[in-house]
Amino acid sequence: MSKRILVIDDEEAIRKSFILALEGTEYQVETAESGEKGIEKVQNNKYDLVFLDLNMPGLNGVETLREIRARDNAVPIYIVTAFQAAFFDQLKRAALDGLSFEVIVKPISGHRIVVIAKGILEGSVVYRKG
Amino acid sequence: MYELALYITGETPRSQKVIRKLTELLENELPGQYSLKIIDVLAEPELAEADKVLATLTVIKTTPAPERRIVGDFSGAEKVLAGMQLQ
Repeated sequence: MSKRILVIDDEEAIRKSFILALEGTEYQVETAESGEKGIEKVQNNKYDLVFLDLNMPGLNGVETLREIRARDNAVPIYIVTAFQAAFFDQLKRAALDGLSFEVIVKPISGHRIVVIAKGILEGSVVYRKG
Repeated sequence: MYELALYITGETPRSQKVIRKLTELLENELPGQYSLKIIDVLAEPELAEADKVLATLTVIKTTPAPERRIVGDFSGAEKVLAGMQLQ
């Protein structure tokens, strides 16, 4: 059975970039345009990987993370964010609250999306700096 | 001496598991011949940015050259060793 990936991001262009990047793989990709919609999807489906935008209107990334973890404590969740201290303050609080997640740098190219997905879903993948 | 750095996101059960796996692998393959630095990107995001880390969990082997970067859960020892050129 294909591994299932969920992409939660309020920007349509970002959602489309993930779909486009992963269409050559065997993974099944679904998207949600808000934290609320993402939570609903997690409630009703089982995913192998979730990509989650940090800054979204309405329910933001950390709030969405909290709700997803209340429903699924095992799925790897990669928060998509710039590696800047200002954004990380809220992530630090989330980590202190015991919420587990990983981070992936923004912006990210299509190739890098595939690298990360394969690394998470298939064990380990080598990639180049850049 | 092999120098490696592992980038994690806090001391989560997942990161602790990866640290254990990686340490075990290095102890088996390179006893006394490596140094492993653990970098928490939440505490030091500027380091991750400067080192152009793509995502956690990433391990970077800096020496000996060439540099190698690997991302994932590091399951499959052979794959990790080959990827890092540690064999």
